[in-house]
Amino acid sequence: MLQNLLTDGLVIGSVYALVSVGMTVILGVLGQINFAHGEYYMAGAFAAWWGIDRLGLSYVAAIPLALVIVAAISLAIGYAVMQRLVDVSFDAGIIATLGISLLLQNTATLLFGGTYQIFDGGWLEPVRVLGEDVAQQRVLIFVVTLAVFGGLEWLVRKSRFGKQMRAVAQNVECCHILGVDVRRVVLITFVLGTTLAALSGVLTAPIVMNVYGSMGEAITLKSFAVIVMGGMGNISGTLLAGWLLGIMESLVAGYVGLQFRDAVAFALLVLVLMWRPSGFFTTKARY
Amino acid sequence: MRYLTTKRALLMLTALCGMCLAGGQVPTARADSGNIEVGVIGPMTGANAPYGSLAWRGASLAVKEINAAGGVLGHKIELVRGDSQCTPVEGVLALQRMIENNHIHFVLGDICSSATLAYEPIVENAKVLLLNAASSDPAITHKAGVGGFKWVFRDYPTDEQRAGIVLKYAAEQDHIHKVAILSVDNDYGRGAIALSKEFFQRYGITAVSEDYFQAATTEFLPVLNKIKDSGAQAILMYGYAASSRLVARQMLESGLAGKIILIGNGDFTNPQTIAAAPSVLNGAIEAAAWSPDFDSARSKTFVHDYEATYDGEVPQVHAFTHWEAINLLAAAIRKAGSVDPTAVRHALEGISFEGATGEVKFDDHHQADLPMILYQVENGKPVIKGVSRTAVVYSKP
Repeated sequence: MLQNLLTDGLVIGSVYALVSVGMTVILGVLGQINFAHGEYYMAGAFAAWWGIDRLGLSYVAAIPLALVIVAAISLAIGYAVMQRLVDVSFDAGIIATLGISLLLQNTATLLFGGTYQIFDGGWLEPVRVLGEDVAQQRVLIFVVTLAVFGGLEWLVRKSRFGKQMRAVAQNVECCHILGVDVRRVVLITFVLGTTLAALSGVLTAPIVMNVYGSMGEAITLKSFAVIVMGGMGNISGTLLAGWLLGIMESLVAGYVGLQFRDAVAFALLVLVLMWRPSGFFTTKARY
Repeated sequence: MRYLTTKRALLMLTALCGMCLAGGQVPTARADSGNIEVGVIGPMTGANAPYGSLAWRGASLAVKEINAAGGVLGHKIELVRGDSQCTPVEGVLALQRMIENNHIHFVLGDICSSATLAYEPIVENAKVLLLNAASSDPAITHKAGVGGFKWVFRDYPTDEQRAGIVLKYAAEQDHIHKVAILSVDNDYGRGAIALSKEFFQRYGITAVSEDYFQAATTEFLPVLNKIKDSGAQAILMYGYAASSRLVARQMLESGLAGKIILIGNGDFTNPQTIAAAPSVLNGAIEAAAWSPDFDSARSKTFVHDYEATYDGEVPQVHAFTHWEAINLLAAAIRKAGSVDPTAVRHALEGISFEGATGEVKFDDHHQADLPMILYQVENGKPVIKGVSRTAVVYSKP
């Protein structure tokens, strides 16, 4: 049973990590928590559902469609709202992103109705991994998460844009002086982060089956815990923290009781804030 | 400063728009004095929205039929919708809005027992008649009628009846003696399990594990792995359609199909749930108040009319019970000869109504004595295995 629990934990942890990394890079670059982050996860799932249900696409075709749709939405929101949060007080950011969260949730409900929709698609047949049956979709999630994190590490450390991201995260004023276009970096980072959340939504939708407007709320809260544990702005830390959370939740659900599962994230959050507020994996905050 | 002002304005506008959209029920203008306003409150959004939608559609169909036949005492009925999101907090707010803004005197609600329990003191204070047609927690009517809340009635069977029927059948017919408890973490789920435990000794059943899940939980693999290793023969679950489908799918993933059956209540007989993992749902045992193939003329007419009105959608139990409740309310108003809530309340207390599943009469706790139908899923279809009717036993106060 322990091995099963660990495997389950790694997969669900990968989902958390994939969603949370967007929040952490946005925080790193913009200095604001995106309280609407779970809603982009929901938008990704809904967009894919819409493609499959209304346009008759296959699941494979629905994935890029969903990413494009959410990228377009977040481009609009990034341009209209997030860019203007540069150099602005933290409170304004909270209110703005909370407002966006409500807007997105209720728009989804208005467009598609309050009832949940059933997601039809994905590869749920099990494959044998390390002597255990795991649904193909879960293996896919794990592999994609590793690939995405690998790509992000390369982006941040080796690419020119990554240098700009790090520069903005470290010192915005210097960026203005040196000619780094801060608003552009923020916009692109925001679109990237939210699209990753949407990717997580699309990949997880076959497993969670129910798609509805407020499905992203719990995701935002857990992402919050993950990014604090991983160290805000720390990409590989987020992956490890996501896995840690997934495994801890799995162990608690298996050995203690399912009703305590949701408490794990917040218990860990409290512990980290008390004992090591910069996160398990960072000695200093930010990149 | 100019830049900041524009930004501030934009931020405030965004937040305000969001808050308005989240507001929920927009207060309607006062209806013309002729119409009888009846509230229908339930989960219209969120994981349990299908139940709310069924309730609304069932009630709306009854209203349409009644109004087409001339209304009640010359008045037409008008429904007012409220969204409780299946939580007491939202439900109470929605109910209070309905009472204050729409001046309703009659309300059908909630689906979710926790919310209904929260409404009881409110309708008692406001002297609004609450006719519940979907919540199964016995506490609701233990506290009603002579139990305290005089304005609360329930035309739906309780979990006291359900718990016993399910376990008796499982133990006697399917020789189930070891169960794993996996139920939703609220008054309904926990209440039903507490009631079930009272029957364990009688039917020789033991629980090898006990877990509760939040209604919106999506991850059941860890607990299913635990159950797999525990030697349980069945999972005793009181849940909802959304979670049942997930549990069924994940039972399939864990290799539990055909090894462990689901018993209790959670829309196991709903075709959508069965379609999620047919091999898992085979053999599932559920007690429900009604299903579309119930054999009575009135019931079949209802099913036919509902499908015709709603694009072929097959009604489920909550659509039926709310349709029936509107008809019951109309009968009570006719019997009272007036729309005065107190008169209607007295009429309802002594009414004998020919319902589609049998005669509806309320006991002194305002609980109707209704049959529970036992279903087992065989080859992908629910089959009626028995009908049981037990009066509620109230302990001395």
